[in-house]
Amino acid sequence: MSEHKIVNIDLEESETVTLGGRSGLDHIDVSGVLKVTNPSDRCRIWNVKVHLGETGKGTGIRKKNLPGGEIDAGGNWETYYTVGVQAPLLALTEVYDTCGSVETEDPHWAYIFGVDNPIKMTIQLKNNSSGQIDNIILNKTVPPELSEITIESATSGVAEFDEGTSQIVWKDFTIYPEESSTLVVTAIGKVADVKSKVAGEIVVTYRAEEQQRSILDPDMTALTEFLTGIENAETEPNHWECTLECSNESDLMIRLDKAAVFLVPEGGGKKELKIDESPAFEMAPDQDWSAKFDIESKSPPKCSQDVIYTPMKIVTKRVLGTIEKTAQIIPVARIGYTKVFEPPAVDSFDKTPVEVTIEITNSGSAKLNAILVEDDLPDDVMPPLKKHISVWIRGKEYTGDFEFTKEPNNQDPETTHKLTFGIRDLKDSVGELAPGETVKINYAIMAWKSRPEKEYPSPILSSATTHPAGLLATVAGEDHKLEVIYKKRSISTKKAINKGADLGEYVVVLVVENRGEVTAENVVVKDWIPPGFEYVSVDPEELVPKVSPARKGSNVTWTFTRMNPGEKKRIRLSVSGEGEYERREPQVTSD
Amino acid sequence: MLKLTYFGHTTFILESKDITLLLNPGIWNGEPVVPEDVDVRIIVATNHDDDSMGNAAEIAASAKAWFLGNEETVEKVRSQGGKSWLLHTLKAEEAYETPGLKISAYPLQKKNPTSGERYENLGLYIEMGGMKVGYLGDTVVQGPFGKFEMDVLIAPIGGGEVFEVKDAVSLCLDAKPRIGIPIRWTSPDQPSNFAKYVSQFGQGVIPVVMEHDQVLEIHWAAGNEFRHTLS
Repeated sequence: MSEHKIVNIDLEESETVTLGGRSGLDHIDVSGVLKVTNPSDRCRIWNVKVHLGETGKGTGIRKKNLPGGEIDAGGNWETYYTVGVQAPLLALTEVYDTCGSVETEDPHWAYIFGVDNPIKMTIQLKNNSSGQIDNIILNKTVPPELSEITIESATSGVAEFDEGTSQIVWKDFTIYPEESSTLVVTAIGKVADVKSKVAGEIVVTYRAEEQQRSILDPDMTALTEFLTGIENAETEPNHWECTLECSNESDLMIRLDKAAVFLVPEGGGKKELKIDESPAFEMAPDQDWSAKFDIESKSPPKCSQDVIYTPMKIVTKRVLGTIEKTAQIIPVARIGYTKVFEPPAVDSFDKTPVEVTIEITNSGSAKLNAILVEDDLPDDVMPPLKKHISVWIRGKEYTGDFEFTKEPNNQDPETTHKLTFGIRDLKDSVGELAPGETVKINYAIMAWKSRPEKEYPSPILSSATTHPAGLLATVAGEDHKLEVIYKKRSISTKKAINKGADLGEYVVVLVVENRGEVTAENVVVKDWIPPGFEYVSVDPEELVPKVSPARKGSNVTWTFTRMNPGEKKRIRLSVSGEGEYERREPQVTSD
Repeated sequence: MLKLTYFGHTTFILESKDITLLLNPGIWNGEPVVPEDVDVRIIVATNHDDDSMGNAAEIAASAKAWFLGNEETVEKVRSQGGKSWLLHTLKAEEAYETPGLKISAYPLQKKNPTSGERYENLGLYIEMGGMKVGYLGDTVVQGPFGKFEMDVLIAPIGGGEVFEVKDAVSLCLDAKPRIGIPIRWTSPDQPSNFAKYVSQFGQGVIPVVMEHDQVLEIHWAAGNEFRHTLS
């Protein structure tokens, strides 16, 4: 049977799929061709009718029966249709993770500027149909910023990277129903500018034999070269043996669906059904079929026939698919910063509040979810408390919580401090920081008697992450320092010893003056009272000295917390005693 | 209880149940800060500049109030018609006392912003209404005030002739008064910076930035708990 020719009804449906950058379905089109092919070498078929019944729904074909007319030997007839579907037979997903070395629930989606980004591409194909899919060829374009491309694994088939075309080609495999195949590729991505990049498109072609997207279930009827007739042979007087004879004169396989013969009464009247068969007899070329019946009649019987046949058909079908996945857009994360001291320089030996303003700018093309700053403060600086730190996002004061740590956690100006600031989960608070937007951190420190011979470096390390967090986009500044303006210190002391009102009484006048350019702190004035004399009183009376014994005599000491430039202290010290009042010069020290 | 009413610039009236004291009734841009008919018992100007002594002579005459200042200032008031029997020269580090009030003056300095020359401005240590108030007027030096025990410290912050913000803050750090009040600012960020820095670094000092006509009342609750109320 198989070598005989059978009319072919072919359903070839093409699904064309466009996926977005994140593998979401953008668009799907399915179109089909219903083609009737007459394989005969010499016989035409005619009165061709393609019967679709109700199965044409959803295809744009409105008729239940399609007239195919005549189809010459070797010719064909075709009609086109479309199919509305929601998803392709083969599902493609690509996960382009820009930081494959950090496991997260969702993939990373941005390059970090200027560093080696460990890229991991996971491409999965899943067969959502009930039949196998083969002839799969996947082409993935590799973007130019990637290097060290490595095929890590392919669960089936063969995958290779073609450097000449910058394509990964994955082919030679079949995916069985409800199964999937996965290709994993790693690479190093490095970008030298902040323009958004493309991750490379993917094109997949495939074939699903014996599958269709429509529900078309076509049948066909037609006519071709077929011989029918009734032979009446009188076997006895007035006894007739009648034979209905059918013969397939074509080179096609024909199915005989109905054979009916009616006897027309001699005197007229109702026809008598003599043969009524539905043989569904498949007739090869030149094959015959016959049926007999007997009739008693004085004259040759008159019979009519009703024979229905049709060339046999087979239905073939397939789905050809093409998926084009648009390249994912990969933005670049980068930050810039400024750090400003105001005033930029402080007077030496003074206490000066200094405003520190750190501004982090999203200078890349990716939205940022977290900003982190490590700010090192030098010694001789009193650091801030958290409550005195203000954070501004997009020029508006941020009232949400932020992380702040200080190490060591005190306000001792004699040690260095490391301040860390963390403003995280922006997406859940004020929204991610878009390109060009800024986060500003402002706080005050108190420069604490800075010394002119010292350096006060204040390096900063700023970083940012997208969501989910992967590698950090960092920017470091090592050159920041709090400048110190050298202000000359000059403490002048003068001393006079004047006689007092009575014998043995002396008034020692000390004049201490800050003639320098800077406030002097903790000014200690020490004078000596010779042996035989004792401190009696002081004018002004608030300036009572500390009196302490010396190896000989005693010392009187005053401490002044601060003396501003130009400030003068005049101390009149009354002493009394006996003997020679030896003069020694007062000693003055200050911070 | 002591009530401090601020008139802007450097001018205050301090009131206790016993006495009323006017500090630096200056004239700024030709306009007196307080009217001539203000009713006070004592007026003090910390230096002889118009922005300190202002219309003190007229007020003293109108209210028959005592005027206190250094020699140069008293002489200037006298030259403006101040009555001699109402004038009193404050001597450095000598206390002036009257019932309900004790004022000790300390020679500080004001700076001519153009020439840089310095001249005397008195810092006042005022004891009245059970409170101790340090009032520095127009000064660029802090003198002994860093060592004084004060409930309220009133210090200039405008820079130039007087303290810059940092100097007033430093004085608060040194003296640790209960309340620090800035005066004589020349831009609005100066008092806010003063408040910010004192709050941050002052180790308990409360900064109070007063607006024109605002009144600060301070008193001892239950005799030993310092309280303040700003109108």
